[in-house]
Amino acid sequence: MSQLTDALASNIGHGQGPGTDAGKSSKPRKPPKVPRGKFSVHFAHYKWLYLLLVPGVVYFAVFRYAPMYGVSIAFKDYVPFLGVNGSPWVGTQHFQDFFSNPDFPRLLGNTLILAFLNLGIAFPLTIVLALLLNEVRLSILKRTVQTLVYIPHFLSWTIVASLSFLLFALDFGPLFLFLNNVMGTNIDFLSDPNWFRPLIVLQEIWKNTGWGTIIFLAALATVDQDQYEAAIIDGAGRFRRVWHITLPGIRSTIIVMLILAIGQMLNTGFEQIYLMTNALNRSVADVFDTYVYFVGITQGAYSYSTAVGLFKSLVGIVLIFGTNALAKRFNQSGLF
Amino acid sequence: MMRRKLSLAAAVVTATAISLTACSGGEAPAADLSTVSIMAPFLEAQPPSADGAVQKKLEELTGKDINITWTPNASYEDKTNITLASSEIPHIMVIQGKTPGFVKNAEAGAFWDLTDKLDDYPNLKTTFPDIQQNASINGKVYGVFRGRAPMRAAVMFRQDWLDKLGLEAPKTTEDLYTVAKAFTEQDPDGNGQDDTWGITIPKWGALGSNSPYDLIEEWYGAGNRWTEKDGKLIPSFETEEFLEANRFVKKMVDEKLINPDFATFDGTKWNEPFFNGKGGIIVDVDSRVSVLVNLFKQADPNNYENKVGFVGNLEGPDGELHAHPTDGYSGFLAVPKSSVRTEAELAKVLEVLNTMNGKDVAILLNNGIEGVNFTVEDGKAASIKPETEESKAVTTDIKSYAQLGMNVGGNTFYPVKQPTEYEQQVFDKRTEVMAEDLKSAVYNPAAPYVSATYVSKGAQLDNIVADARIKYLAGQIDEQGLKDAIKLWNTSGGDKVTEEINQLWQDNK
Repeated sequence: MSQLTDALASNIGHGQGPGTDAGKSSKPRKPPKVPRGKFSVHFAHYKWLYLLLVPGVVYFAVFRYAPMYGVSIAFKDYVPFLGVNGSPWVGTQHFQDFFSNPDFPRLLGNTLILAFLNLGIAFPLTIVLALLLNEVRLSILKRTVQTLVYIPHFLSWTIVASLSFLLFALDFGPLFLFLNNVMGTNIDFLSDPNWFRPLIVLQEIWKNTGWGTIIFLAALATVDQDQYEAAIIDGAGRFRRVWHITLPGIRSTIIVMLILAIGQMLNTGFEQIYLMTNALNRSVADVFDTYVYFVGITQGAYSYSTAVGLFKSLVGIVLIFGTNALAKRFNQSGLF
Repeated sequence: MMRRKLSLAAAVVTATAISLTACSGGEAPAADLSTVSIMAPFLEAQPPSADGAVQKKLEELTGKDINITWTPNASYEDKTNITLASSEIPHIMVIQGKTPGFVKNAEAGAFWDLTDKLDDYPNLKTTFPDIQQNASINGKVYGVFRGRAPMRAAVMFRQDWLDKLGLEAPKTTEDLYTVAKAFTEQDPDGNGQDDTWGITIPKWGALGSNSPYDLIEEWYGAGNRWTEKDGKLIPSFETEEFLEANRFVKKMVDEKLINPDFATFDGTKWNEPFFNGKGGIIVDVDSRVSVLVNLFKQADPNNYENKVGFVGNLEGPDGELHAHPTDGYSGFLAVPKSSVRTEAELAKVLEVLNTMNGKDVAILLNNGIEGVNFTVEDGKAASIKPETEESKAVTTDIKSYAQLGMNVGGNTFYPVKQPTEYEQQVFDKRTEVMAEDLKSAVYNPAAPYVSATYVSKGAQLDNIVADARIKYLAGQIDEQGLKDAIKLWNTSGGDKVTEEINQLWQDNK
């Protein structure tokens, strides 16, 4: 999350920061009077704009950048009593330990598989649902459905996990009985490692797909209605219209959302996975987030878990810049 | 203009800096210590109020203002670590165990070493030096331990089922199997349906956590966490008995004598199958017996006797009783150096702890206030009925205040008088059985020792074996898989742990 915010921060910083950008943006209004060159004159001229900037800068400095100082413990052997400054430096020891740890390939694998499943299944479903909702013409039905699909988003993962435990409970859960009857099996979905990932993705879809449609629905509202009329006159059916007008119309939104989603990819969600983990499915359930909690918080290995977290953030940054660059290469407007 | 702006900016920066230092420099006011701050966990829904009767009495007995930060038990460990990293450190901290976080802090000098100090205080000088040793870090005592009855393991079963099937209470692990099998297959509830099982086990996998698995392994003779073999300490899971015990449990799982969802079953619902007549046996601590009796009593006050039967530890296949004790303590009260800076201050804090370990405070923390919520009858504390607003408050509060009790010289407070004759009988029998089992207790020989490797990755290491144990029982892996997991424990750092533990053991022999 933080790398994303930081990326956004630097983006915002470019837009309003000192230098020529701010000058350019208000140039059209008072072109002749803009004094150039001397900073103090420039500053005096735009003092109110700079004043508006202050809260944002303070916020990011205090809550986003200052805590990053603590990241230095990834390179130290941190003991709470000795403090961040007092703890001895150990260089990249924790990173070496982590990469040579037998858990590492498994964690990376589990995290990536879950991430790609979520990205490959849950993300497109959001768009599909948004398109479906967009096609509903009956306003009351559309609104009702929208409200209903938003609701799960407001339930905490604890409740979602409890519901799953009830529905899939061994021997009496309704879904346990139904699915096993249909498939003619006797699977304990909650502890079978093969069913862990489907369950996680299913929960994710149930909880967040509806909520994710909001931005796409907003984008869909901006698509030019004249084009549809023209297409109808030309004899285009519903699917043609969706394919040739609607989807291209929200393409830039999809790409921005995709870049954001990819930046978040490794954040597989601690609570959800932690709650669904047990001894029998741990081999597929351990991801970076639960590992950091397990090692860092419960075992007090702060430095080590910070190193793991830092590694995760670095991968996140690489992913977000990579996708952005890729989007630009294909002539799409990227995020920044 | 510009200059004014700059000075304004400078002022803002300075103000921020000042407020930041103000946060971090919470200097304790001088050494008189009229207020003693304590951090403690609470297990109830609500922390006790800061101006309740128990609090006032505690302050009266110690002669200090006592300022207790009650922290929810579930997040206590996290909060301990965060508190130590902060600047608001209390004078006394309840530490719940020798966790890696605590060990690291202690070894970095965060807490006073009390090894040579406790004996100077009459109430802090323990009558259980072994337990104090168990609670130490390689012989260094960093806190006043909170004593707990070391013998607690019990097997409880539905007495009515046992009577109906004409069975005897189990004495050996083999008997346990027989009873579990009868409870599963012979329709003990008489409803004509095959809807019962023998033993209920909840999701509880960690090694050495006094789980049902740990108990059965110990009964088989695998030892208690560590065991001596050929003059060397080895982890109990490297013994042949460990494998035998798990074969035994697996046999019961395979024959469906154990609830099938033992890997995921929620431990807070442990009593339900027992009470509802689904699973007839629970292997846990003996205090659960009284909890179960009480459940039946609340459901039907006229017919609750003889529903719950229990025995203590079971004899293993070798015909011997290897009873499973705990380490005899549940954490300790430690004194951080950053809040208590000088020896003189430490002496004052220890003085307070000494008072808190005295009989008066022990009674207050565990029984309550005499005449308000209990009276003494034949040396037992009987609660006053009917309850008043006042007595209720005291009874509720002491459930949390008991967390501050240490009792290093044995329990000086009154035993609780049970509300009915039958419950008193059950209670007395519990005491008797546990005292008898204590004679055959097999202790953890490595309890006082903390290996450096174990501190840094012990929990991950143990998880390898703990998960493999559950997987083996559930049939996900075979016995070879379990052995492979134990080998993986060895090669991933376990050998080093064994080496370090043996070194410490030899040095301290």
